[in-house]
Amino acid sequence: MRPIPRSPKPPLTFSGGLPSSNDLVETLLAGRTLLAESPDHLSQVVDVLESYGEVLDAYSINLIYQAEKQFLNPFPVFRFLDGDHSPAKIWRHLLHDRINFEYAEYCQKAMLWHGTGGLDAYLDSEAFAANCAAIVAHKTRRDPLLAVLNPLFPQFLSELIRSAATTHALGQFWRVMSDLFLDLARAERDGRVDSIAAVVTFIKEGLVAAAGAPITYAVEIAGSRFWVLPPEAGLSFLMDVAVPYVEAVFLRGTPFLGTVSFNAQAQQISPDQAQFMYGALYADPLPTMGSGIPPSLLMQDMYRHLPERLHQTYLAGIRGAGDVRVKICMTFQKAMFCVTNAAIAGTFPHPLDSDVPAQQAANRAYAAAWAARLCVARTDCLDDPG
Amino acid sequence: MLSALLLIPFAGALGLLCWPGELATERIRRAALGLLLLQLLWSLRVLLAFDASDPGLQLQESFAWVDSIGLDYRLGVDGLAMPLVLVNAALTLVSAICTRDLSQRPRLYFALLLGISGAVNGAFLSENLLLFFLFYELELIPLWLLISIWGGANRGYAATKFLIFTAISGFLILGAFLGLALVTGQADFGIHPVTTAQLGMGTQLVLLGALLIGFAIKIPLVPFHTWLPDAHTEASTPVSVLLAGVLLKLGTYGLLRFCLGMFPEAWALLAPWLAGWAAVSVLYGSLAAIAQRDMKRMVAYSSVGHMGYILLAAAAATPVSLLGAVFQMVSHGLISALLFLLVGVVYRKTRTRDLEVLRGLLNPERGLPFTGTLMILGVMASAGMPGMAGFISEFLVFRGSLAAFPVATLLCMVGSGLTAVYFLLLVNRAFFGRLAVTPPSGDAVADSRLDVRLPAVALRETLPALALASGVVGLGVLPWGLGKLSEQATTAMAQLPALVAAIQGGGLLS
Repeated sequence: MRPIPRSPKPPLTFSGGLPSSNDLVETLLAGRTLLAESPDHLSQVVDVLESYGEVLDAYSINLIYQAEKQFLNPFPVFRFLDGDHSPAKIWRHLLHDRINFEYAEYCQKAMLWHGTGGLDAYLDSEAFAANCAAIVAHKTRRDPLLAVLNPLFPQFLSELIRSAATTHALGQFWRVMSDLFLDLARAERDGRVDSIAAVVTFIKEGLVAAAGAPITYAVEIAGSRFWVLPPEAGLSFLMDVAVPYVEAVFLRGTPFLGTVSFNAQAQQISPDQAQFMYGALYADPLPTMGSGIPPSLLMQDMYRHLPERLHQTYLAGIRGAGDVRVKICMTFQKAMFCVTNAAIAGTFPHPLDSDVPAQQAANRAYAAAWAARLCVARTDCLDDPG
Repeated sequence: MLSALLLIPFAGALGLLCWPGELATERIRRAALGLLLLQLLWSLRVLLAFDASDPGLQLQESFAWVDSIGLDYRLGVDGLAMPLVLVNAALTLVSAICTRDLSQRPRLYFALLLGISGAVNGAFLSENLLLFFLFYELELIPLWLLISIWGGANRGYAATKFLIFTAISGFLILGAFLGLALVTGQADFGIHPVTTAQLGMGTQLVLLGALLIGFAIKIPLVPFHTWLPDAHTEASTPVSVLLAGVLLKLGTYGLLRFCLGMFPEAWALLAPWLAGWAAVSVLYGSLAAIAQRDMKRMVAYSSVGHMGYILLAAAAATPVSLLGAVFQMVSHGLISALLFLLVGVVYRKTRTRDLEVLRGLLNPERGLPFTGTLMILGVMASAGMPGMAGFISEFLVFRGSLAAFPVATLLCMVGSGLTAVYFLLLVNRAFFGRLAVTPPSGDAVADSRLDVRLPAVALRETLPALALASGVVGLGVLPWGLGKLSEQATTAMAQLPALVAAIQGGGLLS
């Protein structure tokens, strides 16, 4: 009896192409999309951004709630409950039937730590220090614990207020992005968005429309209202929050065990934060759901709001629901390249169709600066159909 | 009652081979599983009928088969054989369960599996030396076929090597049995330690030496071990499970039953050397395991090392050490079967066992996390972590042997430490880090971009390993059951030299 011939086994590993820096420069200058154009990509990106929009909605509401209602609370035990202290809500929280707001805090910490752009500059200004002094003076009159802490650690409360300001600003940023991504899903369903290029354009227009929106933040303490980020600071959505957010969360990020084996003493982590490459665009999706890896929280949250179409696509994969969070992470990276693509397109110093050589050179230099950072990111997902 | 333990597998094997007409593979598999389940249930029935407080052979059955050459059909079970019969029944069933995707001749495959199980039962239960030898040899050809037909790429070499080594083993054992009949003048081929004690020490040493080398090949002990890593590497997973879990135990059983049991005086004379041999075997097996990059060869070499503990325990021949030897036979059977099962799962999913290639298999979503968890449990048990079977057996062996052979025991303890070294190497290399199942390309960025898509491990693929892992933990947490089962028999065996000396000294023979 002859052996039964077996069907050829599928390969166990795949690797997408890695475009060079020059390829990326030409793509950006030609106005083409970074992510390959395909119907699969379109449905994946739109659906994952819809689930992201749902999650960002919850993050945004909670961050704004924390910044306004848990302001300078030394024990913010109930900060994730959005003010709903009903037994049912607490029970669901204890059973972890909830959004992982810790991920939002993680992003906020990354923004605070990397500190780039106009928001960070304002947080180090005299005007902000004066705001803090007024707030602390008013608050410590009514809070004996803070009254003791403040003279002992004079910078402590100011730093907490800086953190609260970043929290509120991120909450405002995500409010806009959540609405934008949910609108994008509706637009795709209505047939107004039918390609990756249209997705990038839709996001770019949304960002440009919100670019000048003011970022302000005030708190109420015992009936008195205090500005933390006053209108006169002139902080705006795009350049003061969105761009620092992209820098801190998409590009730099923070290293954590599980994805990067690092030894800070041996200088394996750059002492220059600007050289960090641990953000969402560089993150390795494979360790998702490994212990202590923060993006796992986001993927779990997005899984709760996954549109059925994308869910079915994932279930058709070799592992079905078993590796769904890794697959979400991979799709999410494709979507984040679209968002980055839109941000770059919306911030070119000059129109791409300019005939002026100096403007063309400036655009090329701008594109080259981005390409140098993106060519070592997870560009393997850009032409990966899976 | 004991004959049924032979009848079920042998009649089943014959039935499978002779069944008229075509049979689908799945039906054959189900029939074999049914027979093996019946064998397991019957073994449990024997266990229920077994009186643990009686150190002697029980439930005996006998009739004169070929009287003229002394080949009597005599079966019996004692505290030494009972646990091994249970292990045989359980592991053969596990082997059949984890047999999947048979490429050819399913009828022959399952018939051979049943045949091996029946032969092993026969060997463990035989009271007659020739009958033992018959069953001992009977499992040889089926195993050779299982390796040479369903084995890996180099199966011809491995199977032939196995055949040559074990044929020599059988030849030496048969020679010793025939020699014993010749010098004692008794051709009934029974187990009579008092009769052999009357032989001159030189004759005893020659006969014992032949038996020792014969069984040392089967166990295997260094330097007769070279067939085992090759056989394991080329054998399929179910055959490796059977080989490590059951068939090696024929050697250690023979060591206790026939070497120590029939030549207690000569054994006592050789004991210091045997303890030294055990230490060498343990250390060599452990150090060789450290050097391996094939997961299966590493587990195979660990078997070489761990079998050394049984030789040490047998050399010391104290009640505690002999009980430890029984524990080690059972726990090694379960643990090595578990490890081979898991290596088989890893190989089936990743198509490699190379520790230079495999990485990060504990990855929770894309890797083999449950397999990895069981593997960690298995290697911890093998390294003698408390709470698992390996700890009980190693503790008893070391505790029982330390006073008799302190240096050899301490060296074996070092070997136990080395077990942790090579198995942690295995776990660290294959299960931690970023998931990878292909050789590193040398380009770190390209490697970090690899998307690994391993098929998931179905629950039914993990269940046999889970059952064995439960057994490993169960035996570690509740060892008293096995202890009670074997204690009387091993204590009686430990007292055998004194008993024989007393009988001889008291002139009871005259």
